[in-house]
Amino acid sequence: MKLAIDETRCKGCNLCTKVCPYKIFKEGKKANRRGIIIPELDRPERCTNCRLMHLYGRTLCGVCQLTCPDQAIHWVEEQPYEPHKVAIEY
Amino acid sequence: MSFEDWYRQDRLPHIFCAGCGNGTIINCTLAAIEQMAWKKEETVFVSGIGCSSRAPGYIAADSLHTTHGRAIAFATGVKLANPELNVVVFTGDGDLAAIGGNHFIHGCRRNIDITVICMNNQIYGMTGGQGSPTTPLGCFSSTTPFGCAEAPFDLCELAIAAGANYVSRWTSYHVKELEKAVYAGLQTPGFSFIEALVQCPTAFGRRNKFKQVGDQVDYLRTHSMLKAKHDRLLEQGEHIPPDMFVVGELVRRNRPVPGVKI
Ligand SMILES: Cc1ncc(C[n+]2csc(CCOP(=O)(O)OP(=O)(O)O)c2C)c(N)n1
Ligand code: SF4
Ligand code: SF4
Ligand code: SF4
Ligand SMILES: [Mg+2]
Repeated sequence: MKLAIDETRCKGCNLCTKVCPYKIFKEGKKANRRGIIIPELDRPERCTNCRLMHLYGRTLCGVCQLTCPDQAIHWVEEQPYEPHKVAIEY
Repeated sequence: MSFEDWYRQDRLPHIFCAGCGNGTIINCTLAAIEQMAWKKEETVFVSGIGCSSRAPGYIAADSLHTTHGRAIAFATGVKLANPELNVVVFTGDGDLAAIGGNHFIHGCRRNIDITVICMNNQIYGMTGGQGSPTTPLGCFSSTTPFGCAEAPFDLCELAIAAGANYVSRWTSYHVKELEKAVYAGLQTPGFSFIEALVQCPTAFGRRNKFKQVGDQVDYLRTHSMLKAKHDRLLEQGEHIPPDMFVVGELVRRNRPVPGVKI
């Protein structure tokens, strides 16, 4: 699964940047066509839910999704064999 | 299924301001309802008037968007007419405690089997930021330009005193705890009241030195004290700062409920 922000819904409140334990959401820099600065995702493949949702058959963590007041955060299916950056955490 | 499936996708994005906490509270409530495995046809959402009261309009189930302050009165009617229905009320602090104060205490007294979720932004958001019965002492609003001089209501204490079977308080920061509290409220027969303190960047935050949306959420996080800690400090006779508020489950009991065998 892949974490994604729905640009048609996000209003750029940056609440997601506060709540993720991995700090995956970073304040964005550029305004989009609607003048809204959408947060950027920093190595979203670290998200617990992306990795384990299918295995456990339920949403894990999901704090960003519950918090987002604009229902803009969701997970989408990945294309087979999408390249990943490998992150090793200590 | 996930809680997202309870939204009317054709109505989103909603009209709440950027960073308004109301959306978060709807998410948590729908997540709790999803856990209950209720069917949409068996669930009714009722609300009064205000930003918070627009919530049912975004949910794909039957709803009543009623007159200001009267949500609990309408919900009582729905529940008594068809006790099979699951009835959930969304309300604001002004809607619930100002114009609807009487319906609130009598709803608790009768202990009707409904769940009331109050999005308390401590202000009249929709009409441009007038002070409400929950505006804290010293806070600024368009009707308290020199700082509010009246003591606010403690909505949870009010519900407990009036007889509600389940009462808890959380904030828009405590999403998982809030979801659990709503779930417990939905399960408890009788009147369940869940107060969710929320940020209102437009009408409250702007006037009260919360420059960013996150600043008010930080304030809610740092000024909430768990009930257990609060009780312990009280017992030890220690000082509790007046700007702290208690969060957690405040009451769960078994007073008789009209139409329900306990
Ligand atoms: C009978 C009546 N009186 C007054 C109003 C004006 N009015 C609309 S919303 C509102 C206050 C809502 O405050 P609250 O319930 O806290 O909701 P919020 O917008 O803060 O979520 C008022 C006074 C009205 N619509 N109807
Ligand atoms: S919380 Fe939601 S609306 Fe706010 S910035 Fe993040 S994705 Fe956008
Ligand atoms: S689900 Fe949890 S870990 Fe994953 S992005 Fe959201 S807050 Fe971060
Ligand atoms: S005025 Fe306040 S309560 Fe109303 S939508 Fe805007 S932020 Fe939310
Ligand atoms: Mg209000």
